[in-house]
Amino acid sequence: MLRKVAKPLAFGKIRNGISEGILEFLGGGYYDPMLPLFPEEAQSLQLDSHREILKKYFGIEPQGYFNSSFVWEMGMTAVLEKSGFDYALVSEAAVQATVGRSTPVSGWFTVEDKGSLMRIVPVADTLTHAIERDDLRWRVIAESYCHGGKSAVVVLDLPPNPEEIVAFFERLVDFVETNDLQTWPVGYLINQLPPEGSLSYLMSSGKKLGLPASAVTCRETLVRRPEINLFQKSFLNLYRRGRATLEGKDFDEFCEALMPAMSPIFFRDLGNAEGMRCMNVRDWGFRYLAAASHLLDSKLSFDGLRMEVCDYLLQGRKQIWAGNSDIMFLLDYQAGGALRSFCHKDSEVNLLNAWRDDAEPSFGFLDCLLPNADLTASQIDQALSMREYLLKDPYEYRIKRNDSGAEIELLEEQGFAVGSKRGVFHVAKTFGLKASSAELAVDYRIENSTYMDSRCFFGTIFEFGLLGEDSGRITVDGFDLKWDGKSPVVYPEASKIAIHDYGRRCIVTMKFSAPAAVFVGAIFGASSSAAPEMYQGVRVYPFWRTALTVADEKNFKVTISVSKG
Amino acid sequence: MRADLIDIQVEDRGDDVEITLSGSLGSYQLAAVREKIEMLTEGPGCFVYLNLQRAHFKVGDYLDLFLELLNKMHARKSKLVLIFDSDEQDEYFARYRNIFEIYPSREAYKDSGVSKQLQQIGVYYTSKTGVRLSPTVAITLALLILGWAITLFFIIAAQGRDIADKQAQIIALQAQKDRYVHEIDRLESSIGPLRKLGVVQDTTMLSSFGVIQDWVSYLEYLENDRREK
Repeated sequence: MLRKVAKPLAFGKIRNGISEGILEFLGGGYYDPMLPLFPEEAQSLQLDSHREILKKYFGIEPQGYFNSSFVWEMGMTAVLEKSGFDYALVSEAAVQATVGRSTPVSGWFTVEDKGSLMRIVPVADTLTHAIERDDLRWRVIAESYCHGGKSAVVVLDLPPNPEEIVAFFERLVDFVETNDLQTWPVGYLINQLPPEGSLSYLMSSGKKLGLPASAVTCRETLVRRPEINLFQKSFLNLYRRGRATLEGKDFDEFCEALMPAMSPIFFRDLGNAEGMRCMNVRDWGFRYLAAASHLLDSKLSFDGLRMEVCDYLLQGRKQIWAGNSDIMFLLDYQAGGALRSFCHKDSEVNLLNAWRDDAEPSFGFLDCLLPNADLTASQIDQALSMREYLLKDPYEYRIKRNDSGAEIELLEEQGFAVGSKRGVFHVAKTFGLKASSAELAVDYRIENSTYMDSRCFFGTIFEFGLLGEDSGRITVDGFDLKWDGKSPVVYPEASKIAIHDYGRRCIVTMKFSAPAAVFVGAIFGASSSAAPEMYQGVRVYPFWRTALTVADEKNFKVTISVSKG
Repeated sequence: MRADLIDIQVEDRGDDVEITLSGSLGSYQLAAVREKIEMLTEGPGCFVYLNLQRAHFKVGDYLDLFLELLNKMHARKSKLVLIFDSDEQDEYFARYRNIFEIYPSREAYKDSGVSKQLQQIGVYYTSKTGVRLSPTVAITLALLILGWAITLFFIIAAQGRDIADKQAQIIALQAQKDRYVHEIDRLESSIGPLRKLGVVQDTTMLSSFGVIQDWVSYLEYLENDRREK
């Protein structure tokens, strides 16, 4: 990137600037990650990779640490010290919260954790904003920071478009010269000024994450956003597996493939195209994970079936992760036996990648009983989006290995309330996975365990992060479904439905053992500008009329397969 | 819920099944672990590896569970191999070290000897298919099949060589024919002007079977030739 933007002559000028002490390069993570979200070894890997780049192009080792998200946790002290950093830039707000004052903070402080020391340099947030917005009061604001011979550290964002970078620096030089400002690198400030004091504890939730001001740490984003949490846990799971099984050059290659997934863009939930709220960003992130997973399998020459019962999401309860050479999925058997993710390795897509503004995760095979009433498509859409009438009680699981693959059998009584009616269904839900096939077959056996007849519509919800801007089409039994991508529709009788996503180049096919009515509707989210209008995915709900008398039972089968299209 | 402190991982490679247990294994988890392990070892698999490297046993009751499991696997003609490489586990299994097969990794077991693994595969598939072969018959059959395979290979190779020779001959003859056709064309074109002047008699058509195809034509040709003379 730097080579493309800067000319060879500029490289020489930059090197001269550095040797003369008027320029300084700060270090950080190679992909600018929020370090506290990752294992220490992965943190060091990022820091060392960036260090090597600076060494390669400029022959320098950075003294200072910078992270554009400005997150800070005490655990970073030891990691940064180990990676050879002398000081770190943090947001002024974090230091103000620690020292308990609201007036401007400048100079530098020290923090200590587990015997490691780090010099902390607060960035003058108010002054930075004033200069960014060409606020004429900037001089007054600067004086509040620079009293008593002190200096203020200002961080200005580079324009995202490389073509505007030169103009940005021209304006900056013009600003400095016009106002006769004295500028020097941050390292100079550390060397020349005495410390302001020691901080016993420092936490910063960072900037640009879409978190409220009350958030104390960047981990808040994991609690608030299930999609980001799933993404991070998928990263951690993959990293741990790679760490345990690979070594040397193989591990380095694997890390190289996995490291881009640490980029902060995948941990921000900002509006529009800036963070995970954007469907393409989520896709992009899962593509990195899928590619790294593919690489790991090839390094291990593993093409069998793998299942793991573990606390995958680190939420205090177990889930079942399963996969073969073609697909992998996360089954939350304690939340109605629904799928949390369903990835097709060949097209590198996580199908269950929709985004819900109510901070609920998107699911697949989430079972739902609709009342036996004449419901319009819009009413069904509302019931499904509000997550009403769900069968979401925990299941007991059994894993059965067989010659063709494995079956995960979920068995439990599921309570339901439809209108004034309350009842219990005995549900057996069996996920069948073959050793090598991009197909997942789910067998349902529903038995009415109550002493009354039950008439309702039983179905299962899929919230796919598919279609959208790149468009595609939906076919039902081979015929195009006339769907405008907005208004919900119900197709009365279908044996097979296929979603062709041209952008993601995949085809999702669902087959039903008995013809089902199929609901198709869009999932919309709020954008930064207005009310819900941002397309976030497609909701598919195949359902059957189930009139079950006492102890009566009914069987359904849904087979979902994915292929590259 | 009692099993919530344990993580279970299964890697199924067909004949090889590796089950990894990790977490704290106390007496509350025993029943759950027993259920899960029995459930996972019930399916197919010639070699079942039980990876205990990251398991921490808090009570000694698990030894009985593993002994029972060993018996069950033995009855099912599958091989149970314990995988760990730690002093803690060494100490835990010290009493039964001679009973269990213990290796530091699945690869280490794979490298430990081919014959015993082949024997195990034989035993396993014997129990599965009901076909039992003595080692002598198995070796004889294997040699016979190998002999057939080698013979087949030589036959195919010889035929391949033969076909290649024939192809080369065909190509050479084709080239020769093309060359001759080209030469005839050249000669025809060179004598063309002389033939027009009547200096040279065109006999090329006479030798052609395309012109004289029966006795009648041949006799007509002789008659014409005689009259011209």
